Amino acid sequence: MRNSTILFAGTTFILSLLFAFDNKERINLDTSLAQTLFKLGEQKPSHYVENVSPEMISRGEEIIKFGKTQGPNGHTTSYVSKYYKCTSCHNLQREDPDLSVVDQKARLDYAIANKIPYLQGSTFWGMVNRETWYNDDYVLKYGDLVREAEKSLEASIELCATVCSQGRSLEDWEMESILAYLWSLEIKLSDLNLSDTELAQLEGKGSNKEKIELLKSKYLQKSPATFVDPPKDKQVGYNFEGDAELGKAIYDLGCQHCHRPNGESEVILDNTDLSLNWLKRHITDNSQKSIYEIIRKGTYSEYGHQEYMPHYTLEKMSDQQLEHLRTYIETPYMATAN
Amino acid sequence: MKYLTALIFVWTLIPALAQTTYTYQTFDDTRIVNGHSVETNQEGVLKFIISHRFGTLNLGSYEQFGLDQASMRIGLDYGITKNLTLGLGRSTFEKTRDGYFKYKLLAQSQGDKNIPFTLTVFGSAVMKTLKRTDGIELNFQQKLSYSTQLLIARKFGSRFSLQIMPTYLHRNLVADNEENDVLSLGVAGQYQLLKNWSISAEYYATPPSYLPDGYYQSIAVGVQIDTKGHVFQLHFGNSRGMTEKFFVAETTNTWQDGGIHFGFNITRDFKLKGRKER
Repeated sequence: MRNSTILFAGTTFILSLLFAFDNKERINLDTSLAQTLFKLGEQKPSHYVENVSPEMISRGEEIIKFGKTQGPNGHTTSYVSKYYKCTSCHNLQREDPDLSVVDQKARLDYAIANKIPYLQGSTFWGMVNRETWYNDDYVLKYGDLVREAEKSLEASIELCATVCSQGRSLEDWEMESILAYLWSLEIKLSDLNLSDTELAQLEGKGSNKEKIELLKSKYLQKSPATFVDPPKDKQVGYNFEGDAELGKAIYDLGCQHCHRPNGESEVILDNTDLSLNWLKRHITDNSQKSIYEIIRKGTYSEYGHQEYMPHYTLEKMSDQQLEHLRTYIETPYMATAN
Repeated sequence: MKYLTALIFVWTLIPALAQTTYTYQTFDDTRIVNGHSVETNQEGVLKFIISHRFGTLNLGSYEQFGLDQASMRIGLDYGITKNLTLGLGRSTFEKTRDGYFKYKLLAQSQGDKNIPFTLTVFGSAVMKTLKRTDGIELNFQQKLSYSTQLLIARKFGSRFSLQIMPTYLHRNLVADNEENDVLSLGVAGQYQLLKNWSISAEYYATPPSYLPDGYYQSIAVGVQIDTKGHVFQLHFGNSRGMTEKFFVAETTNTWQDGGIHFGFNITRDFKLKGRKER
C-alpha cells in the first residue's frame, strides 16, 4: 500500500511537471491577426464590428464591387458614386508577398503572377489591420481634409465616398456593411510568413508586449505615401533602364484597368499603335497627356467633368517602373504584336 | 427531365465561361455626319448635342460663304441601358421637333461569340411646325414623318469602320411630285488618322425615282476631333437638314455647283447615374 501511494504521488508529480513545462499555447495559423492582438491586450479599434452577419458582409461586398446594394428595407440603394466603384482604385486581394516592406518590384511581380490589377489605391485586403490611413504626403498636401481620415477607417471610407469618388455620403448601415466586409478580408497569422523561431516566440513565455511587437513587425500598420514630381528633364526621364515586358504589364494591369472600353475613363488606351504612338508623342509634354505628369500628379475633378485620375505615389509605382512603362510605349512593333 | 435540367444548367454556365472580345469605338460618336452611327450612349449618360449647318459656300463673300445663314439643331440623347438610347431634338430648319430611339441588337465580337458586325435599329419621328405661307393649317398627322433604319457596321482593324444604312422614310404629307414612302441605302465610313482625329464620309443613295427635280442625293465628308468629354465634328455636305427626312429625300443642293454647307456637331457627355458594368 505504501509503495502504491509513493508510485501514485511520484507519477502525479512528474506529470504535473511535464504539464507545467508544456502549458504554452499552440498557435493556430488560421487565427485572425486582429483577434490574436486583442487577446494579447490590444484595444479593439473604432472600426471593429461586433456581431457581423453574413447579410452585412454580402451588402458590403456589393457596395464595394458594384457601388450599390439592397438595403435592410429591401430597397435597392442609389449608386454611391456615378463615376467609380471602390474597385476602380483598390484591389480586394493580397498585393505584396512580404507585408512588412514596401517593395514595388515584388508587388508588380506578384500582380503579374496572380493577374491582379496594379492600382493607385491600397488593397482592401488587410485594410482593417492598418492603424492609419491617408498617410504622409496625403496629410501634407490635403491637410484638414484628411486629418480625421488619417486616424479613422470610417472617416477614410466616408472621405473616399464623398470626395475621392465624387459620390454621396454613406448611411450608417452601409458603413457598417462595408466594415463587415472589410473584416472578412483581414490578415490571418498564416499570411505573416512567420518563421519557426517566431512561432516559438509567440507560443513561448515572453511578454504580451513583445509578442505584439513581433506580430507588428511582420506587416505594415500604414500604407506609406510619398508624392513625387515628374523628372526635371522628361526627355531623359528618371535615371533608370526600362524593361518593355514589365512596362507592358504595368500598362495592362495598371493603365488599362480604367482606360479600357466602357471603363472609368473616356480615354481608351489599347495596345494598338494609335494609342501607344499618341502616348509616345506626348511623353515630354508639360500637360496631362505626358505619362510622367499624369502618373505623378493625376488630374483634378472639374466642374462638369468630375471624373479624374488619382496619381500614383512612389510606393505604388516606382520611378524605375515608370521607365519600364515608357520603354514599352516607345518600343516599336511590340504594341501591334499584342 | 434530368437531361433537360442538366442542359439548362450548362446553358446558364455558357455566358460565364464565354471569352468574348467586343469591338469598341466603331465610330467616334453617335453621329457620323448627318446620320446616326451604330454607337449608343452608355447607360446613364446624357449627351448634349448642338449642330449647325450654314448656308452654301457658293453664296459668296457677301454671305461670308454661307456663314451668315445658320440653321441649328439642339438635342439631348440619354442612354437608358448600354444598348438603348432615346433622344429628342429641335431644329430651326423648318422648325422641326424630332424624337428617336436606337437599340443595339448585335455587337461585333470575336471569341466564343463571333459576330462579324454591329447591328443597331433606329426609328425616328419628326414633326415640322413651320407655318405654311398659303395659310392652310395642317393637322397633327400631316406634320409628321417617320424613318426607320438598320445601321450595320463593321470595324476593320483599329482604324477603319464601314457602315451601311438601309433606310425607310415615310412622310404623311408630300407635294404632288413626291412619294410618301422613300427607300434609300446609306453608306458611311470613318478612318482614324490619329488617336483623337478621324475623317468620315457619308452618302445616301436615294434612287432618283424618289427624288423629283431639284432634289439630290446627300453626300458629306468631315473631320472629327475627340477631346476629353467633347467630340467636335466639322464637315461639308450638300444637305441642310439634320434629321433623316431632310437629308435622305429633301436635299436641295449639289456639290457640282458649290451648293455645299459647312457645318458642325459638338457633343458633350454628362454622367447622370452610375452603371452596372464598368
